[in-house]
Amino acid sequence: MLTVKDLKVAVEDKTILNGINLEVKPGEVHAIMGPNGSGKSTFANVIAGREDYEVESGSVLYKGEDLLEMEVDERALAGIFMAFQYPVEIPGVSTSNFLKSIVNANREARGLEEMNAMQMLKYIREKIELVGMDEKFLRRSLNEGFSGGEKKRSEMLQMALLEPSLAILDETDSGLDIDALRIVSEAVNKLRTQDRSFIIVTHYQRLLNYIEPDFVHVLYKGRIVKSGDKSLALELEDKGYDWIKEEVDAVAV
Amino acid sequence: MSTTVAQDRYAAEKQKFQELFDQTEAANQQPAHPLDEYRQRAMALVGQLDFPTRRWEEYKYTSVNRILQPDYAMGQVQGVDAADIKTYLPEGMDAHLIVFVNGQLSESLSQFAELPAGMHVMLLRDAMDSDRFGSVAREQLDGILKDQDDIFVALNAAFSQHSLFLYSEKNVACEKPVYILHLSTNAETPILNSHMNIAVAETGSEFAYIEGQFEKPGATGTYFNNIYNRVTVGANAHIHHYCLQQEGAEGFVINRVDAEQDRDSQFSNYTVDLGGRIVRNNLNTVHKGSNLTTNYYGVYFGKEQQHIDNHTFIDHAVPHCQSNELYKGIVTDSARGVFNGKVMVRKDAQKTNAFQQSSSLVLSNKAEMDSKPQLEIFADDVKCSHGATIGQLDESSVFYLRSRGLNDHQARAMLQHAFIAEVLEYFKHEQVRDFAEMLINQKFEQ
Repeated sequence: MLTVKDLKVAVEDKTILNGINLEVKPGEVHAIMGPNGSGKSTFANVIAGREDYEVESGSVLYKGEDLLEMEVDERALAGIFMAFQYPVEIPGVSTSNFLKSIVNANREARGLEEMNAMQMLKYIREKIELVGMDEKFLRRSLNEGFSGGEKKRSEMLQMALLEPSLAILDETDSGLDIDALRIVSEAVNKLRTQDRSFIIVTHYQRLLNYIEPDFVHVLYKGRIVKSGDKSLALELEDKGYDWIKEEVDAVAV
Repeated sequence: MSTTVAQDRYAAEKQKFQELFDQTEAANQQPAHPLDEYRQRAMALVGQLDFPTRRWEEYKYTSVNRILQPDYAMGQVQGVDAADIKTYLPEGMDAHLIVFVNGQLSESLSQFAELPAGMHVMLLRDAMDSDRFGSVAREQLDGILKDQDDIFVALNAAFSQHSLFLYSEKNVACEKPVYILHLSTNAETPILNSHMNIAVAETGSEFAYIEGQFEKPGATGTYFNNIYNRVTVGANAHIHHYCLQQEGAEGFVINRVDAEQDRDSQFSNYTVDLGGRIVRNNLNTVHKGSNLTTNYYGVYFGKEQQHIDNHTFIDHAVPHCQSNELYKGIVTDSARGVFNGKVMVRKDAQKTNAFQQSSSLVLSNKAEMDSKPQLEIFADDVKCSHGATIGQLDESSVFYLRSRGLNDHQARAMLQHAFIAEVLEYFKHEQVRDFAEMLINQKFEQ
C-alpha cells in the first residue's frame, strides 16, 4: 500500500524528517507516536500532500506510484484520506453541499456514476448514523462553530463517505473527551477492513485502548527510533518518552 | 490680454447627444404629447450640466470617458424571439414581464400577467393622460427636473421614450413581481438605451420589481444603458427593487436610483452585477419619516477588463430609522471594483441604527478594489457600524477542499461562491434568489 524509504523533509531549511522508513500493507493499522516536535504531523501532512514542505530526499510509493509527484487532490482521488488535527472552518459552504460534491468527485474518479439527490441523501444518512452525528449539521456551514468533538466527527463522516484505501488520522484524539474519543474510535473500527490501512498519529496512548494497532512506531528527532506492537504503546504510557530520548541521545553521543 | 474660458471637456460629446435627440419625435416644435415637453426640458438641462471628470470626488475612481465616445444611435427590436426570452425567465419565475430590446419596448415579447386590483403598471405617458395618475406623474417628473444636477439623469429623462409608471394603491399587496427585462442584441451601431421607472407605493402597500439587464449570448455590440429609477415609498409601505445585470463586454451601464421613504416604510434594493465593461450604480435613499428601514444588498463579480462601481448613499434625516447595507464582491484578472458607501446621520436623526459592511476578494495581481466607507454622523445617540475588508481566498481552505478530491478550480469556485452566497440569503423573493444564484454559477463556469 505505502512504502516510505529514507524520507527527508525540511521546512524553511530546517530538517524535520530525517530518514523515515515505513511499510504499510493493506489492512494494517500503524500508530505513530512521539513527543512534541518529533515530526509526527509533518509526516502526516507530507503524505496528504501539503506543499509547505520540501522533500530533500527519499521516496514514497503508494500502490506502486510515486506519491510525491501527485497533487493533493490526485492523492485524495487515489484513495488517501487525511483527518486533520485542525479542520478548517469554511463559512458559506453548506456541509451537505460539500459532502455531495466530494462524494461525486470521488465516484467520478472511480468510474462510478454520480449519485442523484435521493441516493445521496440515503448514503449520507447511513454514514451519519455510523459516526453518531446529528443530521442538523448538514444544514450548517462546514465546520463553522463546531466544537472540537464535532469537527473530528465531521472528519470521520467524510472518511466514511469517501471509503479511502489509506486513512491518516492526525492527532484526531487530541483534546477529545472520553465520549467523543469513543465515537471516533468506533467509527474507525467499523471502517476497518482487510484492504483499508490506517496511519494513526497520536501523542497519547489512550486512543490505542480503543483502536488496536498492528504496529506502533516511535518518532523522535525526525526518525523512527523504535517499532513494536501495541505493547510498546503501553510501555510508553507507563514510562513516558524520556527513556527513549535517553536511549537515542546516548547512541548519538 | 485675452482670457480663455475653460472649455467643457465633453462639449463635442454633448453635441452628439443633442443631434441624436433632434432626430427623435420628442424634438418636434409642437410636442405631440406632454411628456415630450418634459423631454425637451430635460435635453435643455443636459446643455447646462457637465459630464463628470475624474477630478470630481464622486468620480475619482471611475472615468465616464469611454462611455461617451461611441456614436450612439437609437436601437430597434431585432434578433430576439420568444425562446431567447425564456433564458431570462427561469422556471418558477412567475412575473409580469415587460421586455425591451435595444431600448425599444416589445409588446409582443412581453408577457403581461394578471395583477391584483390596485396594482398599476403602465407607460408614463399613459399615466400622465389619465385622470387618476396624471397629477402624480407630473409631480414626479417635475421633481426629477427640479434642481437636477446629474447630467445622466437629465440625459435619461430626455431620451427615455417608454418610461414606466408603477403604482400600488393603499394597502394593496402584489405578490407577483413586475419584471422589466432589457435585452441587448447585435446592432449595426452603438446603441443608446435610456429607461426610466417611476415607482410609487401608497400607504400600507407592497410590491417588488425586477430590472434585468442582459446581453443576448453571442452578441458583441457596444451599447450604453442609462437607467433611472425614482422610488417613492409611502407610510408603512414596502418596495423591493432588484437589479440583476449581466451585460456584454462592451456594455456600459449607469444606474441611478433615488428613493424617498415615508414613516414606518421599507425600501430594499438588491443588486447583482456580473457583466458590463463599465458599470456605475448610484443608489440613494432619503428618509422623510421615522421608524423606517432601508436595506441595500449587493453582489458583484468582475473579470477581465470590467469596472464595477457601487456608489451608495443613505440619508438618515429623522430619528429611529434603521439601515442595513451589505455588499460582497470578487474582482479578478484586470477587473476593478469600487465601493463608496456614504451614510449621513443628521443632527435630528437620533436613535439611528446604521449598519454597513463591504467585503471583497481580490484574486489577481492586476485586479483592484477601492473601498470607501463614508460615515458622516452629526447626531450623538446613534448606533452606526461599518466594516470594509479586502482579501484573498484562504489557502488553507483551498487545501482542505482539495484534500477531499476537489480540483483546484472546483475548490476555488466553491469558496468564492460561499463568499457571495451570504448576500443572496437576504433576497426576499426565492424565485429571484434562485435566478441570481444561477447567473452567478454561470459566471463561475465561464
